[in-house]
Amino acid sequence: MAVCTGCSLLCEDIELALKSGAIAGLKNICRKGSGHFHALFTERTKPTIDGQEVSLDQAVAEAAKILKEAKSPLLYGWSNSTLEAQKAGIDLARKLGGTIDDTSSFCQGRLMEMVLKGEIPTCTLDDVRNFADVVIFWGADPSNSHPRHLSRFSYYPRGEKRDKGYEEERNSIAIDVRKSDTARLCKYYFKVPPGGDAEFIAAVGDVLDGKVPKYGDKKKMIELGTVLRKAEFGVVFPGLGLVYSLGERMNLFSDLMAKLNGISTYKVVPMVGHYNMRGFNQLMLDETGFINQVSFKDGKISHGPEHSVVAASKSCDAALVIGSDPLSALPFGVAKSLARMPLIAIDPKRSLTTDAARVVIPSAIYGLEAGGSAIRMDGVKVQFEPVTASDLPTDEAILARIKEAI
Amino acid sequence: MPAVLTIVTFRDIFQYEAQKKGRYTDDYRNRSTIIFMDKQDLAVLGIKDGARVKVENEVSGVVLIALLSDDDPHPGIAFMTNSPWSNQLVSDDACQAVPEFKRISARVSPTDEPVTEISELLKRMKA
Repeated sequence: MAVCTGCSLLCEDIELALKSGAIAGLKNICRKGSGHFHALFTERTKPTIDGQEVSLDQAVAEAAKILKEAKSPLLYGWSNSTLEAQKAGIDLARKLGGTIDDTSSFCQGRLMEMVLKGEIPTCTLDDVRNFADVVIFWGADPSNSHPRHLSRFSYYPRGEKRDKGYEEERNSIAIDVRKSDTARLCKYYFKVPPGGDAEFIAAVGDVLDGKVPKYGDKKKMIELGTVLRKAEFGVVFPGLGLVYSLGERMNLFSDLMAKLNGISTYKVVPMVGHYNMRGFNQLMLDETGFINQVSFKDGKISHGPEHSVVAASKSCDAALVIGSDPLSALPFGVAKSLARMPLIAIDPKRSLTTDAARVVIPSAIYGLEAGGSAIRMDGVKVQFEPVTASDLPTDEAILARIKEAI
Repeated sequence: MPAVLTIVTFRDIFQYEAQKKGRYTDDYRNRSTIIFMDKQDLAVLGIKDGARVKVENEVSGVVLIALLSDDDPHPGIAFMTNSPWSNQLVSDDACQAVPEFKRISARVSPTDEPVTEISELLKRMKA
């Protein structure tokens, strides 16, 4: 069995057959995972400096030189790397006195921080399968982002206390700005305008208090209140739609969860995108007391938005990117700043970031060519082994070599 | 007259699969450069389903293909997949804790220009 690192579900039941360097069979895989596994054979990177192919040793030496000479290096990415690589990255940032941040900084970070600090109750996806009778996809569309979420855990499967399955024992609710593929499958769909989630939360609070809601279709909202009230074990899956909509007002969501838990049992499992974002956040919390956005300058730990990739890309003088493609994923201004500085990209695959980087260091693909461990979106640690041999070094081996060279 | 629309980005499994095949493939470009618009907004611009549109704001601009949305009516709101094309239009205003990836305000107007290539986006970043 192979583990798919295509998303943060880390599906462990993938049956993969390789023959003569090609995929001969692939079972239990979703479309997203299939794309991930087939990526083994397309657009792989080679070690380069300024676009010219060099040896791996030369690329590592140049990366070490850039980082050593930098006054304020930024080490960014990490969410598509293993815990072992992330630990090596934190150690390197500490040694350099640099800034370290990951994709959670502009993604699920605030919500994940609340979960990791126990400010919002959470549970495992196995608990969801076994006990959940109301599941809420809020600003999330797992049918596209985490395709096996509904079939393995949240909606369709029968569980310990839900042996009659979704047909009789599980209610599903989608709250979104558009009728997504997931919303089309759910029993209830509530449409909110972009940025309208705070008002929707207030209306849910009203119906739970027995008041007439000031927002939305009153009859439908009251029906929602009834479903939420009757739940024995409700689980909310917040996606980026909710996180971006609330922004700094995430307390509105935690207040709603507290209210719901005053009525019944409600849990939250954030819809983490990258396969090991939660791992990085947990590791950083253990190592520094903060989940992301940390500077080790002058041997001290400081934290704040000034150390986020968005701000640090303007103030740093070199960057190492690993397990991410910020030139594709971040705003144009941030991408421009990164593209114009001495940039090191450690990546198994070609991307906009590798194409703009001064130094490119190829690495093995985790789950396919290299083993390691990662934290699933619900906090469960998953260990995986490589399914095929590779001469390519792992992320942590590359980071160790850079650290040694420095 | 251009229409001022709020663009909401979303994830699409087919686009993800295309991305894994390669950021520079035609399939990835084709799945990343569609903007789903409301019937009313297409009419305001005087364009048909499948026409090219220039989408621009104070950050940057890209040329995309406008398709009629199959969602409920949503005048003033358009949808596109999250990609380097949508991120061209996202501000990196440091005052914002998290950039507005899912609520992008942009002017949309008909154009004869070709759809923006990913190589052009990279060129702009490096310029």
